[in-house]
Amino acid sequence: MHHVTSYAYATPVDLASHMLHLTPRGLDWQRVISSAIEVSPGQSRMSVGIDHFGNQVAWLFLEVPHDRFVVTASAEVEVEFPAPPGAETTLPWEQVAVAAAAGRAEGWQAAEFIFDSPMLPAEPAAGAYAAQSFPPGRPVLEGLLELTARIRREFSFKAGVSNLHTPVSRTLSQRAGVCQDFTHLMIASLRALGLPARYVSGYLRTKPPPGTTVRRGVDQSHAWVGAWLGPAHGWVDLDPTNDLVVRDEHVVLAWGRDYGDISPVRGLILGGGKHSVTVGVDLEPV
Amino acid sequence: MVDGRGGLRPHWRTLLGAFSALGADGLAARARRLDRAFEEEGVTSLLPGVSTGAQRWRCDPIPLPIPEGEFAEIETGLAQRARLLEAVLQDIYGRQELLADGVLPPALVFANPCFLRAGCRRSEDAAPMMQFYAADLVRGPDGAWRVLADRTAGAGGVGYARENRRLLAQVIPEAFRPMQVRQLRPFFDVWQDALHRLAPPGRRNPIVALLTQGIADPQWFEHMFLSRELSCALVEGGDLTVRGGEVFLKTLRGLQQVDVLLRRMDGRMLDPLELETRSLQGVSGLLNAARHGTVRIANDAGSGALEAPAFAAFLPALCMRLLGEGLAMASVPTMWLGEAQARALVQQDPGRWLIRPAVDGKAHALAPMLMEPAIRQALLGRIEERPREWAASAGIPPSVVPCLGESGMVPKSLVLRVFMVFDGTRWRAMQGGLARVLDSPDQLAGGLPKGGTSKDVWVLTEDRADIVGPAALAIPTLQLRRTSGDLPSRVADNLFWLGRYVERLEHRARLVRAVTGRLSRGAAIMPRELAELNVLSRCLTEAAVIDNEDAGIGAIATLTDALFASTRDTGAIGANFASVARLTERVRDRLTGDMYATFTQTLRAARECVSDIGHSLDGLASGMIAIMRFSAAVAGVAAENMVRGGGWLFLDLGRRIERAQAVASEVAFALDMPAPRIEAGLRLVLELCDSAITYRSRYMNVLQPAPVLDLVLADQGNPRGLAFQLARMRTRLGELGDEGSPRDMLAGFAAGLLAEVEALVDKVLAAENQSVAAAAIPPSLHAVSDGIASLSDRITRRYFALLPAVQAVGMSGQMADLRGAA
Repeated sequence: MHHVTSYAYATPVDLASHMLHLTPRGLDWQRVISSAIEVSPGQSRMSVGIDHFGNQVAWLFLEVPHDRFVVTASAEVEVEFPAPPGAETTLPWEQVAVAAAAGRAEGWQAAEFIFDSPMLPAEPAAGAYAAQSFPPGRPVLEGLLELTARIRREFSFKAGVSNLHTPVSRTLSQRAGVCQDFTHLMIASLRALGLPARYVSGYLRTKPPPGTTVRRGVDQSHAWVGAWLGPAHGWVDLDPTNDLVVRDEHVVLAWGRDYGDISPVRGLILGGGKHSVTVGVDLEPV
Repeated sequence: MVDGRGGLRPHWRTLLGAFSALGADGLAARARRLDRAFEEEGVTSLLPGVSTGAQRWRCDPIPLPIPEGEFAEIETGLAQRARLLEAVLQDIYGRQELLADGVLPPALVFANPCFLRAGCRRSEDAAPMMQFYAADLVRGPDGAWRVLADRTAGAGGVGYARENRRLLAQVIPEAFRPMQVRQLRPFFDVWQDALHRLAPPGRRNPIVALLTQGIADPQWFEHMFLSRELSCALVEGGDLTVRGGEVFLKTLRGLQQVDVLLRRMDGRMLDPLELETRSLQGVSGLLNAARHGTVRIANDAGSGALEAPAFAAFLPALCMRLLGEGLAMASVPTMWLGEAQARALVQQDPGRWLIRPAVDGKAHALAPMLMEPAIRQALLGRIEERPREWAASAGIPPSVVPCLGESGMVPKSLVLRVFMVFDGTRWRAMQGGLARVLDSPDQLAGGLPKGGTSKDVWVLTEDRADIVGPAALAIPTLQLRRTSGDLPSRVADNLFWLGRYVERLEHRARLVRAVTGRLSRGAAIMPRELAELNVLSRCLTEAAVIDNEDAGIGAIATLTDALFASTRDTGAIGANFASVARLTERVRDRLTGDMYATFTQTLRAARECVSDIGHSLDGLASGMIAIMRFSAAVAGVAAENMVRGGGWLFLDLGRRIERAQAVASEVAFALDMPAPRIEAGLRLVLELCDSAITYRSRYMNVLQPAPVLDLVLADQGNPRGLAFQLARMRTRLGELGDEGSPRDMLAGFAAGLLAEVEALVDKVLAAENQSVAAAAIPPSLHAVSDGIASLSDRITRRYFALLPAVQAVGMSGQMADLRGAA
């Protein structure tokens, strides 16, 4: 896996600080064999740590004037998500919501993902959209799978109709967007029902397994939804852009409440004037 | 104030006795003096919570007396509460066991806008998160004090409390005599010492800085006050920079490391790199530095999370669990409405409760008891919809105390804010507080209200022999400190421009007065005067007082109108007033109280005088004289009171540059006439440079070009002349130059200008026909004026570190609606 982000500035930047979420997260089902971050200009200071959500973070401080900033993240990972439980065996969705809101030992960590977050304020229309898939008493995973499929079916994948700050209401009305918009939409829908949902950022394999359809969102940062099935079954990852249950084509970088918690590269610069950014992602099976 | 049987409590009896000795009229007069004293100190418009407009800050002359025994109970109770809150903070930013064990509902933490995820600590960092704590208390009908709100982020009001005491002692000293009142000062010593102890290990003479949003902050007055009281630098986000993982203050002498930050800014704005807001007022990389322990922040960025009102409902259980003891100082009964039984109680009898947002400590309470039934029903509906976002506190009627009203004493209820600081071992209270008088029950909760009256709080020592001074309080030995005199670049910048604007205002006033003197002679304007008016119009145009088209010869009516227009708020002089006022406020922390009072009072007087001129030339002239008086007052105060350090240097430099430019261009305009008529120009030069009397005493009535020009251009002893300004600039810039750098570059530039001017005068002196030579120098003088402008630019670039704008790249979270910490 290689992820290259490069910024070109019109005038030199005197001082810059960046926060990176570019190192794959180590998980029971994702083994990080090696990972590295390379930065140009070279004379910069980097410190690494773990954020509130348990993700790997790197902080970069560039104190020499520069008109180009390139960060390359490379990693080798082994991924095999566990198979999801049988949908009909999962809890009725209302019970999942109750368990999360109650917190305590079983639900407190999931509870963080039922509240509004900075980029995802409450959106009743999203709740109404999701409600069709969650009639009373339905096992939660059944509803989730149907919702994932509906988003894939009813929304068209179109670049250029949205940006980082496109609100969920807009995505709903224009019925189009990219992976990030669908992910935000699905999270907002689930939270409106009281179901914990988190934003997962990562990558999708460049070439799909033989015999399957072409995937959307390859060669760039990808995003999908983590949904909670209750204390017994924990989390399942669902990709509404491709109507997939995440198994072995995805690599997880980080998760948070919304894009804002884990944007791959965010920074503040002094000077620089206008800037342009290019991103390239390449994910090859080893 | 009344005991259970309706009798006056003894400490009130003594206190009211002291006041009744003054008589009703005497007391009213003292109250007026107190108001005036506050106004003179400039405390009036800066009540916490007020963001715009002038709101009056008043202090009621009758203090709130609290016997020492009663206050000791408050102090003990609040000390326990502070320990408890610290332990809760350590948990929610650490292991989060309180959530895992279900002692705290997730909504209070995860839906709390002041819970900063970037502030979480994975490592077992034992450093305390809270050093300063305040609580708002009310006393119920049973006489017991209860906590209405915990202030964990850095509550305002401590400066106002101190100011109340100082001015009250000044205005009504006799009231203090019959009682022994505990002092407030020791609290600040303990606090200052605690801040110094907080410094990362191994730092000798640590630098402490108070981080403020600056003049935009409604508590600006208090920040200035605290920075002085605690001997720390007053800095804004833009004054700080993180380099190599450490935090530095940008000063004239370069970067200076900062060890401890006293945070007086919303925690959510501290670091735009990591926090959700897009606010660029913070310091990028600050949290990373704090995480690595190279700087300490008090209180910690995330400490505001516990200001959420709903926490009060859980404190008794938290206290048992974390401290293993009962909660000594109870809250006003409070419930979190995320719980069904609590909701039922509110639905049953809404009138008994005050409704507060569960996680927003700054929002004012809603009082169903005061609501129309329909509105009350709508509120109950909103609660049902999103119950976990609400809390309810019992609407207990606070006890009343006497306050001075329009006609004698009136009973009013009040809220008491008590301030605590952690000295490294235990929590100590300021022996006093800020009591504010309530006008309506919905003002009970929330941040400090928009306006109103406060009271000084007297902690009374019963034993008269027990005179409490710092020594009696057993303060730990203070460490030696050295105050840091290094001037932040921003402050130097402000002082420089204050100097320029004051001088500009004076210069404009002088020009306008010179014109009004001629205009007021009415119809009988002589041709010579017309020529002078022509020159003056050009000077006025150059000084941007009037536009080009108003300056034509003969258009006297137009010129007059233009002068009046310039004094209005939108005119050049009106705008000049506003700039001076704004800059004075910005550099206020560099001025003593007396200096500030002189600046603002004379400025206000001048402004009032100018706004009263109506349409009379006489009025205009006296307005201009008032401006000149203001300028003279500033000059006098600066000369006699300011230490000749960096700040004064820049104030003076600004004035010199502005005056030098004005003299150079005025002389150039005055001499720009045919050689045979040069005498009129010379006369005008002497008038504009206020040098006519000096000239007469030197040369009698013989007017010749070289002596005039020597006096106004080359004589370094004439404070209104050009050489004086240039020589002073050279000296100041020489004093500023730092070792090792090309120290004389700017001073040398000033010296070069001075030499140029001297050469000009020498040339006129040596000329066969002095008049012709004098008439030829205007272009050279304009060149000197340009040279001075370029010197000003060089100073700006050299000292005020023109920084390019900060911008966010990659991602900038949407500006979350800022609510929460008070």
